[in-house]
Amino acid sequence: MDIEQSVDGGVAVLSPSGRLNMVAAPQLKKTVDASVADGLARIVVDLSGVEFIDSSGLGALIGGLKTARQASGDLRIAGAGEQVRTVLGLTNLDRILKPYADVTEARHGW
Amino acid sequence: MAGDYELDGFAVPQELDKLHALLARIGEEHPDVSASDLMMFETAVTEVANNVIEHGVPSGRVHWTFALEVRPEELRAVLRDEGEAFTGEIRTDMPDELSESGRGLPLADLVLDELAYQRDGSHNVWRMVRRRTPAVAEGE
Repeated sequence: MDIEQSVDGGVAVLSPSGRLNMVAAPQLKKTVDASVADGLARIVVDLSGVEFIDSSGLGALIGGLKTARQASGDLRIAGAGEQVRTVLGLTNLDRILKPYADVTEARHGW
Repeated sequence: MAGDYELDGFAVPQELDKLHALLARIGEEHPDVSASDLMMFETAVTEVANNVIEHGVPSGRVHWTFALEVRPEELRAVLRDEGEAFTGEIRTDMPDELSESGRGLPLADLVLDELAYQRDGSHNVWRMVRRRTPAVAEGE
């Protein structure tokens, strides 16, 4: 999986693409960890390029959220498609990973 | 089960792409299957496959076969694997929000109408059924 990274105003934007599954999930978690280690603990994961997520992908997002919060930051998600939103809803994770429409909305207030 | 679609290989993460490709083919060849039903079925089948990949013994060397069938009323899949008997729980609660694992089978169970496991000789057999959303007739 390719994960594009950019930094804008102290916020790291990570944009994975393809399927966020058991193959890709560890890569995403590693990328979040590296960002936090670099001092960028406010992270937006742009999911607009993710066509499918499984429970491993959800686990990586939760792991990233915890890592970011431990460093006084946060992790927000943006641009989730229908399958991702449905799975977030079914697992009740939309309560702690609120899906923002896009990166701009997710960054609001940061 | 003789399926409309079949796949065989080893229970390793790299094989998941083939499973997704097979489900994409079903979508192309059965445009009458609602995108939502197919998406949820794909989610469930993937989670059950993940479970076999993660817990299959001997790890990386478990041979599996998939058979998927599109019926007028339902989507059916049977995954047979030659690993040692599955000893985990089939039905567990969705874990706490901050848990990083344990959502696979609960998620599959939520989007399926039937999820069953049985040991059949030297095979683990997973049966998955999702009833199809009735199509809205033209003009309604």
